[in-house]
Amino acid sequence: MRPVRELALVLALAGSSAAADLAYITCQNGDAVGVIDTTTGAQIVEWSVPGKPAGVAVAQDAVFTVAPEAKTVRRHDPASGTVQASITLDGGPIGIAHDPARGRLFVSDWYNARIWVLDATTLATTAELTVGAAPAGLALSADGRTLASADRDADQVTLFEADSLTPRAQVIVGARPFGLRFGPAGRLFVGNVGSDDVTVIDPDTASVITTVPVGARPYGVAFARGRAFVTNQYEDSVSVINLSTLTTEATLDTGEYPEGIDASRDGSQIIVANWFDNTVTIFSADTLSVLQTVTTCDGPRAFGTFLGGDIQ
Amino acid sequence: MRKRAFLGVLIAATALPGLVLAHGPTRQKVTLTTEVAADPADVWAAIGDFQDMSWHPAVHASTGENGNDIDATRVLTLGAADGPTISEILYKFSDEKMSYSYRITDVKVEVLPVTNYSSHLTVKPRADGGSIVEWRGAFYRGYPNNDPPEELNDAAAIAAVTGVYQAGLDALTAKFGAPGS
Repeated sequence: MRPVRELALVLALAGSSAAADLAYITCQNGDAVGVIDTTTGAQIVEWSVPGKPAGVAVAQDAVFTVAPEAKTVRRHDPASGTVQASITLDGGPIGIAHDPARGRLFVSDWYNARIWVLDATTLATTAELTVGAAPAGLALSADGRTLASADRDADQVTLFEADSLTPRAQVIVGARPFGLRFGPAGRLFVGNVGSDDVTVIDPDTASVITTVPVGARPYGVAFARGRAFVTNQYEDSVSVINLSTLTTEATLDTGEYPEGIDASRDGSQIIVANWFDNTVTIFSADTLSVLQTVTTCDGPRAFGTFLGGDIQ
Repeated sequence: MRKRAFLGVLIAATALPGLVLAHGPTRQKVTLTTEVAADPADVWAAIGDFQDMSWHPAVHASTGENGNDIDATRVLTLGAADGPTISEILYKFSDEKMSYSYRITDVKVEVLPVTNYSSHLTVKPRADGGSIVEWRGAFYRGYPNNDPPEELNDAAAIAAVTGVYQAGLDALTAKFGAPGS
């Protein structure tokens, strides 16, 4: 029980120091979540999470996981991992986004072209939204206005008014969009696994600003220090995009099958889950060098926002 | 492998062509290794040509283009001249690292019940002499939708790939001998 107590202590210090960032890494093959202190590079504890968890979203007071094999969404206590609520959904739940202002969760249904809207406390389903085929990644804009869904097999992104849940626009992107996230200036970055590029969207006008070529099979995107970082699954690399010029300024080596990616809250670190290697690579967002490589559970995917604290 | 070719014809009918882009929810991985007595250079000389899979007992023939260049292709014919085929493409190759990586671009799920398959074949030096051959694969099950039939589920995919790798590595152990033996 000692690791749990240490974790609680770390959490109590959160907010006062950047040293408190915790990565909650969903390990799909290992039916687990690895909790990693990204400053010390130590895995503090491993939670057992059955059902092949992939999707993850971290809130101030909860960690949410999506286990597609068990078709189950869970709400965990961030300190202990204890399941506070869970729901089994009829379909293929995969991606997840948290809406802290409204106490809601959005979960994509890979097999039925829809998004479930859940109460973030009870996980009860409160609405269903229709999207294009095979929705995967979900993201909420920092101002809370726009929900975006990457509809993989429709080659499009669907935008919703997050407050009213009304669909606002569908934007055609590259081939097979999977992961997506809003950047610091409110622009939406969409990784297209089929065309090996990132579509940059202005959500207000629902128009494409540009398309940036990256490596093979871009999976996830995160932001820090005026840069976008994109994991390239088939290339064992991260593409670094300059947010001013929207061009690639560097390519970083990762472990094998880099997937989930997120930034520490102070923007100093970029954390990458390497699915085949069962490791997490922690990069300096400033120098772009590797700070730590941490061993974690089997098959880390970390599909979503997995850093402790509400970073969206 | 040959057993796979006999796997349910009925199964093929359930894999709708329009769904080939989709895949199951959980990517699987398999890593198998064997240790052999020969030096890495000798082992690599036998298996480090993307256009020559004759060292694998299930492969009857291989035809391809562009040697060991990136994006080189090969079509493996399994078992016999009229056997099933697997089409593959090379995406990494290093003589120095003694490793190559390839993906399957076309295979029927009744031949190998996987989708989105990628693989690496690597020869490494063994600490006490000889070599370690490592074969790693990443793939989704053959059935892209929810609730797969038993023949196309995650376990079936892992079993099939494991069978292919084991047969190949066993052949290498037989050819080069176990270390210290």
